[in-house]
Amino acid sequence: MTGEQFVFLAVSGLTIVAGILVVTLRNLFHAALAMMLSFLGVAGIYIMLGAGFLAAAQLLIYIGAISILIIFAIMLTRRMMQAQDTPFNSQAGAGLVTAVLSFILLVFVITRLWRNEIFDSPPEVPTAIMNQIVVQLGSDFVSPGAYVIPFIVASMLLLAALIGAVYVAWPQVEDEA
Amino acid sequence: MEGTPVQNDWYFILLFVVLSPILAAVPMLINYLLGPRKPNFIKQQTYECGVETVGDAWVQFKVQYYIYALVFVIFDIEAVFLFPVAAAYGQLPLFAIGAAVLFILLLADGLAYAWGRGVLEWV
Amino acid sequence: MEFTPPEINLLIVAPVLIIMAAGSLGMVIDLFMPDGKKGWAVWLAAIGLLLALAQNIALWNGNYETFIPQNGVAMVVMDNFAIFLNATFLLTGLLVIPLSRSYLQRTGLEKPEYYMLLLFSISGMMLMGMANDLILVFLALEVLSIPLYIMCGMLWPRPESEESAMKYFLLGAFSSAIFVFGIALVYGATTTTAIPLIFDAVAANGLNAMIVTGLAFLMVGAGFKVAAVPFHMWTPDVYEGAPTPVTAFMSVGAKIAGFAALLRVLMLALPQASGEWVTAVAVLSTLTLIIGNVVAIRQGNIKRMLAYSSIAHAGYILIAVAAAADNPSAGVSSALFYMFAYLFTNLGAFGMVIALERNYGEGNLLDDFKGLAKRHPWLSLAMAYFMLSLTGIPPTGGFSAKFYVFGAAIEAELYWLVLIGVITSVISGYYYLRVVYLMYMFDGEGQLITGRALQFAVFVMAISTLVLGLFPEGLFNLTAEATLSATRLLAGG
Repeated sequence: MTGEQFVFLAVSGLTIVAGILVVTLRNLFHAALAMMLSFLGVAGIYIMLGAGFLAAAQLLIYIGAISILIIFAIMLTRRMMQAQDTPFNSQAGAGLVTAVLSFILLVFVITRLWRNEIFDSPPEVPTAIMNQIVVQLGSDFVSPGAYVIPFIVASMLLLAALIGAVYVAWPQVEDEA
Repeated sequence: MEGTPVQNDWYFILLFVVLSPILAAVPMLINYLLGPRKPNFIKQQTYECGVETVGDAWVQFKVQYYIYALVFVIFDIEAVFLFPVAAAYGQLPLFAIGAAVLFILLLADGLAYAWGRGVLEWV
Repeated sequence: MEFTPPEINLLIVAPVLIIMAAGSLGMVIDLFMPDGKKGWAVWLAAIGLLLALAQNIALWNGNYETFIPQNGVAMVVMDNFAIFLNATFLLTGLLVIPLSRSYLQRTGLEKPEYYMLLLFSISGMMLMGMANDLILVFLALEVLSIPLYIMCGMLWPRPESEESAMKYFLLGAFSSAIFVFGIALVYGATTTTAIPLIFDAVAANGLNAMIVTGLAFLMVGAGFKVAAVPFHMWTPDVYEGAPTPVTAFMSVGAKIAGFAALLRVLMLALPQASGEWVTAVAVLSTLTLIIGNVVAIRQGNIKRMLAYSSIAHAGYILIAVAAAADNPSAGVSSALFYMFAYLFTNLGAFGMVIALERNYGEGNLLDDFKGLAKRHPWLSLAMAYFMLSLTGIPPTGGFSAKFYVFGAAIEAELYWLVLIGVITSVISGYYYLRVVYLMYMFDGEGQLITGRALQFAVFVMAISTLVLGLFPEGLFNLTAEATLSATRLLAGG
């Protein structure tokens, strides 16, 4: 087993075990912490795929911001902090069946393709160094020749989300209500 | 299997990931192995001096803090988007800079809205 | 790094830029306006929509593409297909605003945020019609959905409104995730997200399991958005709990945008997979028609009834999509016609529901329609006409739309689908005509709260439905041109 395979097994094992913990832990707060661990594992997989910037974004956004938001939400809700109920409901069985079937389908689809169809040779792994990739990405974000429209639309999306979040979460001013 | 240059950069990080828990664990382990132990009631308390704690450490936070976290998520994503643009700044034409500025202005608009609604006032 | 300046023509994307600019400008104006003055927002939104509509129509027959990337495929195309859909979305916005006004005033909702979120949502819908790249399709889906989630919950802390927003958000986020996974699979199989390049890749290498699975995920994601059975479970609760003008907007705008995404993916990216997707679409259509129409009979709440009715109408549009597999021009153009006619009819019906709703959640029962004909003869007549149009009785826009859809399906030899469509139309007559029966044959206390704006909008929609019923050829020719310009890209022209 090469070092790379060992790292892959460690990282993906971390992701999967933490992911299972997220849905099985009884304490919601602990589940949130397990989720951060799972995100960390995903960041590791991004690194192994040569997507360093994506890994950094994963760390910053998912672990740095979204997990914190979820933990805030748990701490703000008194009842949730003490909830020790079972995390399963009556539909857990159906969910499990669906998940297993989707998993089998995807494994079948992806491995079969990998063996004989479009990719006779595996796709190229970017060999440029990290800095160049980030610079290329940055210039693609804003060039009219590439992704400037999605870039601006993404900022519209963030703006709408921000306005919506403030509108829904912030108490109404008295003279308006 | 040879690692690509991209991955090689990250082996240093991997080294840190492996080493840092060891660095933290070793002093504690040495302490545990070498330190003499003579427990008594006073030493076993949470605080050797000071007031006994009352109730649970899990307390409910103010709802208003939540909105800071929400706004933070949005601007965190903005920062991640802008980082590569900043890295490529030197070679961008005017139109591209304009697009980046528009991106910032749109989010500044959102910030101004949040400000106008009084979200930024500390409570 | 070499940089060749590509052709930049902002006028091509101007319609959507105007809407976005009006939306974000509104948030700035909001800062400087005193809290008491809220009237400006409605005018800003209306003027923005009108300007965008004018510029949009001016681009007709231009077949523009803009922002050509290095690989030679535009991110955004402004073909007649996109222009037609844009006009549909802009008209939806223009009609929802007068319908909302008095309702918003009496529920205390009249705030600039409502109109600005409406504009943001419309900009997302327009991008959906224009998108030529799956990344943009996904972003547009989110830009149109997120304001809708908020608008459903705008009447918080009332639990029904919160429940509506929460359900819509959770299922919407879930369906978006499925959609994006579909994009990832298609990208994995073809190494591109550009719709014309996906077409080329499939033409060169043929289909494989990964593309078909990706297509299935994309169809499930879009199926949620258009509320096709079995992805419809959220619809009645969300439609019932949301403020009624938002329900009206959602039932028309979000549905048409979902179909825009579906048509782009099925017809422009993966038409070679039509053998695979035509059966799936036909099955979805059958289920949607039967369940939507049968369950609608049992509803006592007009908003829930119209929710199931909107599910059923998604089924009729799906017939057209299925027909498009064999007969692209007739299928796509009849789908476009159906959506355009549905816009006027459904918004008109919702206009009456809005007028009948005294306060949030009061006056939504079918029984509240009793005796309306005596006190409000003209509006009741309009409502009766909309109900006839939803059933598909001539001479209405709804009849013309069904006529074209069934015609396209017969040309494509989908006889059993047409049979189910006709039978369910007859069933739908029962619950639509019951509203008419209640209005004319009973005495009741119901009162409509109408402003001039609402009356005018309902009048416009009734006339439009009538015109579409009597003279459908004009619009049908437009939809045919729209279809032609979109499929022109397919032919590599």
